[in-house]
Amino acid sequence: MSWRVAADIGGTFTDLVAIGTDGALRTRKVSSSVGDYGRAIVEGLGALFAEAGIAPGEVEEILHATTVASNAILEHKGAKTGLITTEGFRDVLEIRTLRMPRLYDLRWEKPAPLVPRHLRLGVPERVNVRGEVERPLDEAAAEAAVAQLLAEGVEAIAVCLLHAYANPAHERRIGEIVARLAPGLPVSLSVEVLPEMKEYERSSTTVINAYLGPILGRYLIALSRDLRGSGLAAPLLLMQSSGGLMPAAEAARLPVHVVESGPAAGVIGVQMLARRIGLADAISFDMGGTTAKAGVIEGGEVTRAGEYSVGGGIMVGSRLLSGAGYQLKVPAIDLAEVGAGGGSLIWLDAAGAPQVGPESAGAWPGPVCYGQGNSQPTVTDANVVLGYLNPEALVGGALPIDAAASRAAIAERVAAPLGLGPEEAAHGAHLIAASNMIRAIKAVSSERGRDPRGFALVAFGGNGPLFAAGMARALGMRRVVVPPSAGVFSALGLLASDVELHLSRSWRHPARGLDPAALETAAVVLEEEARMRLRAQGFPPERIAIRRGATLRYQGQSFELQVGFAAGEGPEIVEERYGAEHERTYGHRAGAGEPVEFVTLQVIGTGLPDRPRLPERLSPRSIRPPQASRRAYFGREPGWRETAVVARSSLTSPVEGPAIIEEYDCTCLVPPGASAMLDGFGNIVITLQEGPSA
Amino acid sequence: MAATAIDPIEFELFRNALFSIADEMALTVHRTTYSAVLKDNMDYSTAFCDGEGRLVAQGLTLPSHLGSIPEALGAVLRRYGDSMAEGDIFVLNDPFEGGMHLPDIFLFQPIFVDGERLAIAATICHHTDVGGRVPGSNASDSTEIYQEGLRIPPLRLYERGRRNETLEALIERNVRVPVKVFGDLRAQLAACTIAERAFRDLVARAGVGKTRLHMAALLDHAEALTRAALRALPDGEWRFEDHIDDDGVELGKPIPLRVRVEKRGDRMLVDWTGTSPQVKGAINNTLSFTRSASYCGIRSILPANIPNNEGYFRAIEVVAPEGTIANAVLPAACAARGLTGFRMVDCLFGALAQMLPDRVGAAGDGGNLGVSIGGWRRVPGGDGVRREPFIYVDFTCSAWGGRPFADGCDGNSHMFANMASPSIEVTEAEQPIQVTRYEFLPDTMGPGQYRGGAPFCREYRFLEEEGVLQVRADRRAFLPFGLQGGGAGAPSMNWLVRDGVTEALPSKFCITLKRDDLFRLEVPGGGGWGDPLARDPALVLRDARNGLVSREAARRDYGVVLTPDWRVDAAATEALRQEHAARRGPLPAVTRERLA
Repeated sequence: MSWRVAADIGGTFTDLVAIGTDGALRTRKVSSSVGDYGRAIVEGLGALFAEAGIAPGEVEEILHATTVASNAILEHKGAKTGLITTEGFRDVLEIRTLRMPRLYDLRWEKPAPLVPRHLRLGVPERVNVRGEVERPLDEAAAEAAVAQLLAEGVEAIAVCLLHAYANPAHERRIGEIVARLAPGLPVSLSVEVLPEMKEYERSSTTVINAYLGPILGRYLIALSRDLRGSGLAAPLLLMQSSGGLMPAAEAARLPVHVVESGPAAGVIGVQMLARRIGLADAISFDMGGTTAKAGVIEGGEVTRAGEYSVGGGIMVGSRLLSGAGYQLKVPAIDLAEVGAGGGSLIWLDAAGAPQVGPESAGAWPGPVCYGQGNSQPTVTDANVVLGYLNPEALVGGALPIDAAASRAAIAERVAAPLGLGPEEAAHGAHLIAASNMIRAIKAVSSERGRDPRGFALVAFGGNGPLFAAGMARALGMRRVVVPPSAGVFSALGLLASDVELHLSRSWRHPARGLDPAALETAAVVLEEEARMRLRAQGFPPERIAIRRGATLRYQGQSFELQVGFAAGEGPEIVEERYGAEHERTYGHRAGAGEPVEFVTLQVIGTGLPDRPRLPERLSPRSIRPPQASRRAYFGREPGWRETAVVARSSLTSPVEGPAIIEEYDCTCLVPPGASAMLDGFGNIVITLQEGPSA
Repeated sequence: MAATAIDPIEFELFRNALFSIADEMALTVHRTTYSAVLKDNMDYSTAFCDGEGRLVAQGLTLPSHLGSIPEALGAVLRRYGDSMAEGDIFVLNDPFEGGMHLPDIFLFQPIFVDGERLAIAATICHHTDVGGRVPGSNASDSTEIYQEGLRIPPLRLYERGRRNETLEALIERNVRVPVKVFGDLRAQLAACTIAERAFRDLVARAGVGKTRLHMAALLDHAEALTRAALRALPDGEWRFEDHIDDDGVELGKPIPLRVRVEKRGDRMLVDWTGTSPQVKGAINNTLSFTRSASYCGIRSILPANIPNNEGYFRAIEVVAPEGTIANAVLPAACAARGLTGFRMVDCLFGALAQMLPDRVGAAGDGGNLGVSIGGWRRVPGGDGVRREPFIYVDFTCSAWGGRPFADGCDGNSHMFANMASPSIEVTEAEQPIQVTRYEFLPDTMGPGQYRGGAPFCREYRFLEEEGVLQVRADRRAFLPFGLQGGGAGAPSMNWLVRDGVTEALPSKFCITLKRDDLFRLEVPGGGGWGDPLARDPALVLRDARNGLVSREAARRDYGVVLTPDWRVDAAATEALRQEHAARRGPLPAVTRERLA
């Protein structure tokens, strides 16, 4: 028997999952070891292996999602990086887009550039928009610039010249100069990181790549060494923000792709689950202690955003106000995030209206019921008052709580000023938190022209299953799915993903009158590069799958839509598909005479496994089933109801709500008017009947 | 909650849903627009009003549109209030009947439920061109509205669901880029469609009665929040005065802006009496634009959680006498009135800085500088005869004033218009323009304990045979003011390099460009806040290392002496600072500088 192992590092916890070829599923949640993240993995795996009787030699693959890269950006702890750019444009990185993410804020501060101005140097050269050299590279000046950066002690150099995507010669020449003057110093060329138009996005992405390279490189070397030290010699792969895996060596070279690895894994997990149970369309909903995230699976495929920012804070619904954080133009699983979690504070605004979040009590001091000194009630306190959470202890008994303190805090801080009973106020807070999170779901569905009613809601994370059924009802959705091990579900998602390579090129051409051969040739060139790189990672030709895509727009628009196309499909088909996609997303398409243009070509290369990534059936360890009931409150109508508290395993026949399913790492609520039952894969499926919406 | 019949929880859920509609509308425009002005500059707004036309929720976009919707909708209601029917959509852009300036086209769609007009969806978009003398329709040197483009009074664009083909044909013939204009009108229509769909869902859940009740309560709630916030501010009266250099027509004739802020209890008055009579150049405000500027300034000193709706406006009275630049009458030209709006916000901040000296800072660059390059070129690959228009419009700004707690932001949009700069590479792909420089300008920031923000310069090389360059800048004569001893920022400058000869251009102008002409735009620097000699020498060192402050300026402005290997020479600095302190007079509360 052999095992595949996944480790998902989060801010607070590191989740570990092992899956055996026979379907055995073993999980463990350990505290993250900040500063030396690898230690928690190595020690946690040791304990998990001992418990499950796994020998390190039986492990054939280690999959990993980590916050190391995003933390380095957020905490400004990346490598000392220099940037070489076209003379006259050294401030493109710092000026950004001029825009700020908040209005009317006199205290706004721009995020400090990752490369300070004295390490950003311009060199004389100019390539024009057609890729023609208008001014040759001044090599002496380039050498001087490199020498100056080396004298400053930079650990990495980024190079981003204007229109380099159209002609990379000058960037490559500078790369050679660096290699000559400082052999071994990591260099990130924009043509290698992101050969696409738009100088700010390309500069920012290239700089982040350079900034993270040495950090991620050191981290992976240390982790591999520690893993080998404990007998684990299996290949190490990292999750990319796009949802595909990448070998560790590749990740060290292109760290820009692994920045948002954890959240991506959860959505890939939902994709796997949806495929198994025959769901084409699903919305993933991941709610933890401080934030909630929503993503979409459509037609069995994840949706990806072409760019995003790190450290931009919470994205509320619409992503209109950009300018926060650090811009990365790489494919990423499209997620909308709101500041709502179990720790979100409940408060009253100056006019006395009840509010939930975005401030959070965090893991420390945490909710009032933790008894760690917080007196402002949180969403978790509301759920305790409502009887949804176990009134004595959470996390399978490991965390005792003080339910009376929750009730007192809600009564005093919320209910009394509003003239409501404590349970009414708590229920209101529960609904307001849900309505905040609904904005995240709308951001990935209705705001993109997708009607959420056609989707199932797949809920996970510590708090997701508590809110999912109520939110689904408010959105008119009929079905909620809560997977097994919902609290460590993102780690499970790692085990479901494939090695993937996303390549793109600026390719601006009018679609009308375009020679089909030109499109074919350009796509084939990109495909060949993908095949070559996957072959280098050990995938034989028959285990490489290639998908083509393109972004297009109506000429004059400045926003593109992505469509896929197959080999042999010409510009006319792609143009028609674009029109259909525009209609679906925005509700209208332009007249037939309106010119459409290609903006980028994309290729996704997938390295296919030689057998299914996951066994057909998963068998989690069975948990001691709690058997009890308690009172829970569901609004003025129907008020308090005696509610069964059951174990997942007891849902072999349908259970009518209200019911509460208590598990080690999460609690699932089945409200009145809903019923729950296990499917053949161990998922809880909640079906909502027609009923009044929240 | 103030209102008694309202369930606070239901209300909060309703509020969340309604504001998400306004934001969803904004997102729809953003995603479907054709023009960079909307996409990159986000020069548009969306709003949701109740059936009586009161603004209930405004989407998260452009502060300078904050006061515009009530005025425009009022104009529509005056004409059509009684005859509105399901399927009607109204359009207008006339500044003298509800509009702001001609490029801003408003669209309103009433939403009827069971025969009752329960709500009105509103969008306002800055269109790339609405005809008139110059491409982009935003010349600052027009002297009458009649030169500025197509004036659309409140009219039905759709009547009971049927398109008004006459009006569309008229618009189509009078704008230079009909594809863009109609593309953007479609984006506005799409936003209204989205709003209607989402609102009907909401009403289906909440019921008509509660919808009406909650929309009214939303206004009361915003008013209550505003008044609570105002009560926490000091009572009193504060005045401030600033000047626009000139209107670009009567060169060198300063245009005074005067504001009086009076705060008593839970109400605020912003009075622009004493401000210049309206001017010949196209920088005259409608009253609605003056309101927007006033609301924006006050909004910035209030808590962030106040919703943008009419309830907020109720607590703030704005006064501007007719016939002034703050409330112009026919035939005033107003295409470039953005300038006046920005400067009114800054002027208002000057007054608010006296009220809240620890929160409000010195003057920034004065808001957007507008650069339009347009003309006609032979269709590429065409028959050599046919021509097509090109229009490049960029509004750009960079520098905030120094603040009582931090430096002014470098390379950041002005508070009044959260605009983004277009990509240079994209510009070069689409326009006959090459950008040859885009960098911060050293030694231009007003010195202070907290210095002004850094401005940048941008150079454009023109690649077509001939075109029109039209620029709207200011702060050439009246520099961005400093506060509490902080110095003024550097002036804005415009330069033309033609055939190797460099020539300074005025701050507002319209000229013909020839191939290979180089135009250089310099944004003004932000004013400084506080005594420059109190600035942390480490920050002076940082700026010097970064090439933003020269070694000479470090000595002259800050009394900081830097060693050749980039350290602060503490002893020399101490001595030089004492020398500076002994030599200079008392620090002014406001540092005003006027260049000839």
